[in-house]
Amino acid sequence: MVTTEDQSSRLAGTLDVVVSRLEQARPFAKHRHQPAVLDVVGRLLAEPGGLEVVFGEASRMDRAGLFGGSDWDAPEALLPQLVGQTLESGDRALIALEVASLLRFLAIATGDGTHRNLHADAARHFLTQVLAHNLRYFFEAANEADRDTDPDGLRRRVFGFIVARIGFGDVLGTLVEEIWRILDQRPVEVGPVKEMIMQISLAMSGQGVDPGQERLGADRLVSALFGPTSACIDDPGVDLFLDRIAALDESGLQREALGFSRAMHDTGLVSDYHAVFLRWIATKTDADFLPDTLGLGPTGKDSLRRWRGLVGDLIETAVSEHTPQSVYGLALLLDRGILHSPPIVPALQRQLRTRLTAPVAERIRLAFGDLVAPERLLLAGTLSVLGQPLGLGQGANPTCQSARAIAMWSFNDPDFVLHLIRQVSEVDSILMHFEGQPIESRDMPAGLAAGAPIDADPVSVALVPHLDRIYAEMGRRCVGRAGDPHRWVNPEFHGWWVARDCVVAVDIATGLLSDYTGFVERFCRGYHPAFNGGRPVIHPQPAGIAVTDSAARFVGWHAIAILRVETDQTGAHRVYFFNPNNDSGQDWGAGVVVSTSGNGERHGEGSLPFEQFVSRLYLFHDDPTTSDTEIDVPEEIAGRIERMALESWAADRKVPDPGSMVGSADPGT
Amino acid sequence: METYDPDKGYVALLGWSLNAIDAADRFDRRYVVVAPAWAEAYCEENEIPFIGWDFDRLNERSHELATRLKEEGVDVAIPLYEETVEWAGAINAVLMDNPRLLGQSMLFRDKSLMKRRAQLGGIRVGVFEEAHDRGDVTRFLMRVNQTLLKLDGDPNDPIHFKAFDKSGTAGHRVIRTPEDVDNIPDEEFPALLESHLDGWEFAVEAWIKDRKIQFLNISEYVTLGYSVFVPATPELEAHRARVTEEIEKLIETFDIDFGFIHPEYFLTNDGKLYFGEVAYRPPGFKALELIERAYGFNGYQGLIVAFDPKTTQEELDAFFPEPVTGAAGHAGCFGVYPRRRVVSRLEVPENTQKHPYFEFHELSEPMEQKVTKRTAFGTHWGLAFFFGEDPHELRDLLKAQEELDFYV
Repeated sequence: MVTTEDQSSRLAGTLDVVVSRLEQARPFAKHRHQPAVLDVVGRLLAEPGGLEVVFGEASRMDRAGLFGGSDWDAPEALLPQLVGQTLESGDRALIALEVASLLRFLAIATGDGTHRNLHADAARHFLTQVLAHNLRYFFEAANEADRDTDPDGLRRRVFGFIVARIGFGDVLGTLVEEIWRILDQRPVEVGPVKEMIMQISLAMSGQGVDPGQERLGADRLVSALFGPTSACIDDPGVDLFLDRIAALDESGLQREALGFSRAMHDTGLVSDYHAVFLRWIATKTDADFLPDTLGLGPTGKDSLRRWRGLVGDLIETAVSEHTPQSVYGLALLLDRGILHSPPIVPALQRQLRTRLTAPVAERIRLAFGDLVAPERLLLAGTLSVLGQPLGLGQGANPTCQSARAIAMWSFNDPDFVLHLIRQVSEVDSILMHFEGQPIESRDMPAGLAAGAPIDADPVSVALVPHLDRIYAEMGRRCVGRAGDPHRWVNPEFHGWWVARDCVVAVDIATGLLSDYTGFVERFCRGYHPAFNGGRPVIHPQPAGIAVTDSAARFVGWHAIAILRVETDQTGAHRVYFFNPNNDSGQDWGAGVVVSTSGNGERHGEGSLPFEQFVSRLYLFHDDPTTSDTEIDVPEEIAGRIERMALESWAADRKVPDPGSMVGSADPGT
Repeated sequence: METYDPDKGYVALLGWSLNAIDAADRFDRRYVVVAPAWAEAYCEENEIPFIGWDFDRLNERSHELATRLKEEGVDVAIPLYEETVEWAGAINAVLMDNPRLLGQSMLFRDKSLMKRRAQLGGIRVGVFEEAHDRGDVTRFLMRVNQTLLKLDGDPNDPIHFKAFDKSGTAGHRVIRTPEDVDNIPDEEFPALLESHLDGWEFAVEAWIKDRKIQFLNISEYVTLGYSVFVPATPELEAHRARVTEEIEKLIETFDIDFGFIHPEYFLTNDGKLYFGEVAYRPPGFKALELIERAYGFNGYQGLIVAFDPKTTQEELDAFFPEPVTGAAGHAGCFGVYPRRRVVSRLEVPENTQKHPYFEFHELSEPMEQKVTKRTAFGTHWGLAFFFGEDPHELRDLLKAQEELDFYV
């Protein structure tokens, strides 16, 4: 029988044969030889010593065209967070491709190979991020699912192979940086972040991690979740913690309250102990520690004083160790002062009394389990949404319009959100009108999302299936009209505060740019304070973005909301906007990188310099009833923006010659 | 890429084969692909020289294509598929001003004419007949078995049914019972019927220039429709001299000046060689890839030198290696068919995976769980490739694959 060493050296010979064939093939014929290479690579990976062989050939395979015709051919545009998913796919060829790609990155990072579009530093950074996203394969015992999809422990071996060659030092730092970047946006859904912090915590206790800058940042995250105050610093468990605080005097409790609220407002994360503490403090002591426990500012304190009874009821119902984030939602809700708006208090009182109709309760149970009654989950979610409207995300669902709508209403029209929650709670349906005609969501077929989302917050789980249907139905009622349906749908769907003109950069029938210069000028005149007479954006305005990937290639149309156009600390004009995509920090290519902090953003906002933003914009609303400022928009601004658009999403959308514009309004062309 | 040698010929490839195009593009001669219009955008995108043509029916327009290629400066047309063999004949007749080439190509296209011509040339063929309907098949089956002195109730000796104009194992059926006859679909008529020969079946690939064999390969079938390898075992190669004679007879009988032929033979237990059929185009089953793996030369480029009228004998001598001794080893492949009625995934058998001769496979995960019943020889689900020193071990290994499940 053949020994295993022989096996991998024999396969190395076979690999040479199939790679030579791939090398010889012309670009158009590469795909005929790629499967054979991937087959041999896949078998090598299962052999001892196989990773070394594949690593040794990685750069050669790259040059030979192993990645030709696939996304992997542009390593500079690959996303590190997708690697783990690919390795879990169960598709042997795909796994072999991903490992070959990782080892190609490794060869570049270690100087063993080169790539025309990728430097050693960039390759190293990419691998570091991959490792950070897959930390659990180092420390946790393999779980059942891993054993199922990865019987040879390939992931563990591949990541171990990489760590052995580039070191572990950067990984923790990168992960911590990534978590802080996400937390800066203050998401409502913190499950994924908590999962990563859990891994860090395991890593730090299992592996001797050197103290240092990374360690400090990581400590803050871990302590915010598992032990933010002295009574729970050792993560003692809820029962022991309750015993400890029962024995504290007033100054001790004061310190606990401040410790909890500082950790919460620092990170946007709420420890389970914090939720337990808040419940206890709300009923068990005479002194009022609520403002300090919630970390309220003056407006919040005022709201609390005025509505103490309601807040007590909300804590009683919504806050629990299973719904800790509701504490943060409640604190921010109070600080926003929205309880002073007349409909809010009675609407919340109504929700406290509302029982959910069975299908809605079932949807929420499906998404969040049944540790807590669905009514309480929905109320906890309501507090989060009203407190952190810009923390909403669409989850992994194609429902950006619905997520954006809930965010804009929560921001702008909070009583309307409560009105919708009430309708769905009672009858599992939403009634809206379009041009005077009623639309009842339960009568409508499913929209973009096939089922209800289960990876989003409770309010989205309740509302999105209905909003999605209504949005789709409004679109259907516009079929046959010339022009973009958003023109009619957006104002009707969202509210009176959406400006009534809708300006679109492309001709709907042909997909080509249509009077792009006019589009840019109109936007400048509508939104740029230098050209609109200094008028600020009053209400969030829905807008459409042509999303591009990190190589500036068109990906698709996406719904966002413009919140502000203001100058940042350097005096440059930026557009601040809300992106319902869970993480706004995206690289749209050609230097257009959406920033989420450090440029004057508030939590949950993304921002871009004005011209960069406009270069990816394709649809916006504008108020037709304003007086003309008669300030000209300099031609070079429009020119620069147009160039950026043409070098990215609009590359294939340029109108061939100016004369052909004449017929482009005809829907038949 | 314009890297061709202007002193050498300009060839037209008839039919769409990416492997052939890839080989031509890497070679030193100017070429153009003649293929249906659906390939046009792809060719434009990849800068592959292209002329759009629909090969569905040979008609008066063949002259139009020939004229067009002549104006283009093409020296010779090379057929890549059975369907383009007579087109190549018609075109080359015009390009080379040699009307005989068209008639010759018709012989290659009609299995019955082919067999009669071979017989006339003194080549030994089995018992055969044409069938136009199922009645013809039944009669032939009965007659063959009566000749063999079978009694009622004895299992019949099989006969072979080959649709006239299909290539390889497509349309090739083994008929044993009247029920098999009933299962033949109408569209497979007319067809050639042949008696079954017990013996050793093998194929030959021969590159011919100036009526001379430039390179002759013997491909040994382990089991028809499943597996083949090259070069053959010493036992079969022992007959190389006789095989060469037989090929020379074919060259004479079919008047072959140049090109490439792919005949099949039977070596019976009493040591007689029977001619099966011959094709004037590259074989299926990746035989050229196997030859390349064993001998190191690209078979498609071999086709180009054999067809090109401007090729010199020196070039041919340099291009082709010594048969058998020039091979680095023996290369074989196995066509995988699912053996179970219901399959859920691809799982290369452990012993195959670990065998030092196993190189790689081109099998994909099953699209459907339920396996449809094979008709005729059917189409395999992909190939597994092997390479090694010892032809006997390779042969036994290929044989052993037939009893293994690749799909479970």
